[in-house]
Formats: sequence, structure tokens, C-alpha cells
Amino acid sequence: MNHAIALAGSMIGFGLALGGGAIGAAIGDGLAGNATIAGVSRQPEAQGRLQVIMFLIIGLVEAMYFINLALGFYLVTQAGAVTG
Amino acid sequence: MTYLVAGPPGTHPLTPICGDQYLNLLVIKFYYCAITVDTLVSSGVAIAVTLGIAFYAASRLKPGVPSKLQMVLEFLVSYVRGLVSETVTEDATFIIPIAATVGLYILVANWLDFLPLGFTPLLQPANADLNQTLAMAIVVFLISQWYAIRVRGLGGYLRHYLRPPFPPLTIIEEIVKPVTLSLRLFGNIFAGVLMVYLLTLVPQAIPLATPLSAVGVVIWKFFDVFFVGSIQAFIFMLLTIIYFGQAREGLDEESHGAHAPTSGHAERAATPATTH
Repeated sequence: MNHAIALAGSMIGFGLALGGGAIGAAIGDGLAGNATIAGVSRQPEAQGRLQVIMFLIIGLVEAMYFINLALGFYLVTQAGAVTG
Repeated sequence: MTYLVAGPPGTHPLTPICGDQYLNLLVIKFYYCAITVDTLVSSGVAIAVTLGIAFYAASRLKPGVPSKLQMVLEFLVSYVRGLVSETVTEDATFIIPIAATVGLYILVANWLDFLPLGFTPLLQPANADLNQTLAMAIVVFLISQWYAIRVRGLGGYLRHYLRPPFPPLTIIEEIVKPVTLSLRLFGNIFAGVLMVYLLTLVPQAIPLATPLSAVGVVIWKFFDVFFVGSIQAFIFMLLTIIYFGQAREGLDEESHGAHAPTSGHAERAATPATTH
């Protein structure tokens, strides 16, 4: 019974972490794209440099989501492996 | 259908070498007396390939028109040199080999993931184990702390922790650095492995979707390995350099008043000579 409660709780927590992480990563990606479009429309010749920076920022932003995904999955498997 | 990964990812089997002791850190058990053989083997393969590329390029060095490999490596080294002289300082040349090696090794290790690893449980993506990435991050962290002590002196280093806004914040900021650096790389590569595993589970539930799942695995592998893998290797390298830059943050402003007139005179004296 305790095991089932722990597993259910970790599943719910994993879902919440994934949802919140996805919201944050999407907003961050949108902000980066927004700033890049504004920069390119202001200075079209800087497009190459700005795109490199944009992909860098997107990598940094989405890393938080992937950390959520990996650690959440790890904790769920830990809770599933606990017996009793 | 053959599975690309044998079991659920994330379960690296531990091989105890000196007993079964561990530190219980509430969430994660820290086994300090055991090794994960699969990560050792797969990172060993990555190390061998990295060394092979580097030594092959070094043995074929030639002036004049360089080969393609030499051009790529020269671009990497000169790019890192530019970053270091911009972000840290001109004479911190010992950072260039550290950062370039870390970047090249992670890039090679990530790109090796494109091979269908997991046919043998011994070969996994090297960076999909937190032990591996945390080791690299701790090495970078320790060297940057040593550099901060060397540059600021021990007193200045300790005083740096008592910066105005809120002293504990600076300590937390320093401790969080290796944690986020390692978790970022680990999370990305591990999520890639996890995605492949989930895609290979689809045909069990829906047998008709087998070709769809195979195509999905190939597309995901391309995206994950060549896009995410390169970006994460670049970010790890860049953050390594930035941490070294933060280790001497504020030093240039402090000494600016003392050194500015002499350097200004030197520049002014040098400019007419160079324009002729």
C-alpha cells in the first residue's frame, strides 16, 4: 500500500514537473525568438551572429526542461524499484 | 523488433570494488566504493577516439594548405583562444587546452551515440551517466576555484564571498555551478536515450505503428545527436570558460585606476609606430 502511494505520488510529481518545465521552456524559447526577430529586423546583416546566439540560448533554456525530464524519470524508477 | 536499449535507461549496474558502503543523501545514495563498468567502457571508447583524432591530426600537421581535419581543429583552438582572451584574460593560456579538450571530448562522445549503442549492455552513451558528467564538472569547478585563489590571493578569495548583497548567496552560486553544469549535459543525453526507449516501446502496444516508430527513432537520433549533442558540447565548453572569467570578476576594475595611465600611454605611443 505504501509502495503504491509512493509510486502514485512520484508519478503525479513527475507530471507536474514536466508540465511546469514545458511551460517555462516554451516561454523562454518564445522570448529568445522574439528578441532575435527584433534584432534581425533592426540590423539584417547581423542575422548570422544572432542565430548562433539564439541557438545557444535555446540550448541553455531547454536544458532545464531536460533536467526535469531526466531527474523525474530517475525518481520514478527509484520509487518503482523500492519494495514494500 | 530489436530494441536499441536493453533495459529501461538510467539503471547503470554498480560493480563494488571495495565493499558496499554508501552515503545516504536522502534522495540519492552516493556509492563511493563502486564503479559503473558500462560507463567506464563507453567513455573509454570515446577517449580512444578523441585521442586518435588528435594524434592523427598532430602527426599530419603541415604548413601551407592544411587538410580538412587540421582546418577544423585549428578553427576550434583559435576560437577557444579568442573566447578566453575576451572572457578571461590574455595570459590565461592554460585554460585553452582544458576548454578545447573538454569540448572536443564531449562532442566526440555525443556523436558516437549515433551508432546503435545498447546492443551490448556495455556500450551506452557515455554522457548518459551522471557520474561521468559530474566528474568533468567537478574538475572544472576545482580548477576554477584554484585559479580564483591564485589570482585574488587567499584573503581576496575569502573576501570575495562576503560581497555586499547577501553573503550566503555567493556561496550557493558557487556550489550550484558544477551541479547545473553536470545536470544539463546529463539531462539532455539521458532524455535522448529515454526517447529512443519510449519509441521502441510503441510497437508493443500498437503493432501497426512499427515502421512509424522506426522512422521516428532515426529522425530523433539525427536531431538528438547532431543538434542537441553539438550544442551541449559547445555550451559545456563555453560555460567552462565563463566560470574562469567569473573567478577573476571585478579584478580588472579594481586595478583599472592604477594601471590605466601607463597602458594608455603605451597605446598612444604604439599607435603612431604601427600606422607608419
